[in-house]
Amino acid sequence: MIGSLKRISVIASHTFTQLMRMKVFGFLAVFAVIVIAIKFFELPTGNSPQKASLEELRMLKSTAMGTMGLFAIIFAVAATGLLLPRDVEDRTLYTILCKPVPRIDYLAGKYLGVLIMIFIALFLMDLVLMGVLHTRTMGVLAEHMLIAEKSGWSAEETAVERAEVLSQGVTWSMQAGVFAIFLKSIVVAGVALLISTFSTSTLFTIIMGFLIYFIGHFAGEAREFWLSQQGEVGTLVKYSSHVISVLFPDFRLFNVIDAAVAGETIPKGVIWKLTGISSIYASVYLILSWFTFAKKEF
Amino acid sequence: MSLAVEIDQLTKEFPTPFRREKIEAVKGVSLSIEEGQIYGLIGPNGSGKSTTMKALLGLLAPTSGTCRIFGRDSVKVDSRQDVGYVPENPYFYKHLTGEETLKFYGKLCGLSGAFLKGRITDLLEQVSLTHARKQKVGTYSKGMLQRIGLAQALIHEPRLLILDEPTAGVDPVGSREIRDLILELKEAGKTVFLCSHLLEQVQAICDRVGIIFNGELKREGTLEELITLKEQFEIVVKGDAESQAKLLATAEEFRGLEVVSSGSPKTSLESLFIQMSKEEK
Repeated sequence: MIGSLKRISVIASHTFTQLMRMKVFGFLAVFAVIVIAIKFFELPTGNSPQKASLEELRMLKSTAMGTMGLFAIIFAVAATGLLLPRDVEDRTLYTILCKPVPRIDYLAGKYLGVLIMIFIALFLMDLVLMGVLHTRTMGVLAEHMLIAEKSGWSAEETAVERAEVLSQGVTWSMQAGVFAIFLKSIVVAGVALLISTFSTSTLFTIIMGFLIYFIGHFAGEAREFWLSQQGEVGTLVKYSSHVISVLFPDFRLFNVIDAAVAGETIPKGVIWKLTGISSIYASVYLILSWFTFAKKEF
Repeated sequence: MSLAVEIDQLTKEFPTPFRREKIEAVKGVSLSIEEGQIYGLIGPNGSGKSTTMKALLGLLAPTSGTCRIFGRDSVKVDSRQDVGYVPENPYFYKHLTGEETLKFYGKLCGLSGAFLKGRITDLLEQVSLTHARKQKVGTYSKGMLQRIGLAQALIHEPRLLILDEPTAGVDPVGSREIRDLILELKEAGKTVFLCSHLLEQVQAICDRVGIIFNGELKREGTLEELITLKEQFEIVVKGDAESQAKLLATAEEFRGLEVVSSGSPKTSLESLFIQMSKEEK
């Protein structure tokens, strides 16, 4: 077991190095430019200057977290879909599997390596976002407090205004939203891993990965609609629908990211629940990948 | 002497898409390799050499029959504890240096610390790649790749080495170096199972040879057994030219000649292989 964990960590750290040397972190510069550039886009909202500045903070969060989500999903699908077929094509896989390396260790190592890379990438992007957002929030807060002082607002009104501005800044709920992006990418990378174990090309894996990702956004609704049309359904139908829901994950569960962008408070319980569901999805995909990969011949 | 490799009635079939019939790549191959021997498997392209090796390494599951390495079923992961493998035209992670490549494979085999460091230094020296230890593998020549392939196969000190075309695409000097390295490994007590197209090389280094055609092992034995032409007999004599002339004139007048050696003449492995290829056609 310890030997196995050690081997998994060797493969994971190698996968991380491999992705690093593919210069994937170059996107961070692009991300920083996007986040900083948002300040210069002033949309005509028709709102008062106070509302407009709050809207600017929301837009900053929304664009930055949307970009983080996009990068995370692209990485999850492309990196996972690329690594396995490439090892087969280059025959490097032969030299690995000819060592005393169980196939599950190889898969788990690759998966973990991709997840470490996504985690670090999200962490770095989060730092950039927090830096820019905090600076901007403090600026907006100072503007609002000046207006409050000039307008002679009561202490109570000023406190409400302060709380509203700060709710659009760096909050724990925003961090929970970033963590939810990571959890979503764990599930997406799991899907890509499973596809790559039976796919023969990188392109197929990537296309299928994105397809399942998009289907996942409607899978829950489609299932509910279908079940409601059936009226009284039997146990078999119920279980089949659950199996389908595992194969096509319900990405509506991750809508908390939008709530985080809107500045809403996300209860801790929701994040724990989401972590649990993502872990189950990740485990199921890893086990299914192992079943396919264990029988694969090279 | 214990057996390093036991292949018993190995058959491997591959399904063909959209058809019912299957392609039989290996048909009931049985062979065994004693510990410390160099065994060469020769055959034309598509004859089943690589399939046999892959089945032995657990990369392919036998349709029927068994493969064992030092008594352990090759389907099981622990059978690979004592095996090092160099595939044909090996590719390694291009972003790693020679040293990092060996470190990666060493760690996969559970090695670490000072022992692994020392092992890497020794192996790089053994395969003459010390000068390229910090060089990215992506910049290595074919010969260098083959040698780093050998080093990675040897990192965990396996007792059995499986080499698929170890000198493919390597220049004559590099090829000679690899050949010498294989002989050094034999002297160190390692068992080597190789397949090659270079029959001259196989003849020079192998103790036993198997000849495979269309998935069937047609001939197998020691080199001596295979290349001896049993239906013929030769004697080598030494003496003056006059006596030799007389010997040629009449077999009865060879008094005064000393018999140096006698026995069946030998062919070359290449001639035998070409003759068998013609017969197969």
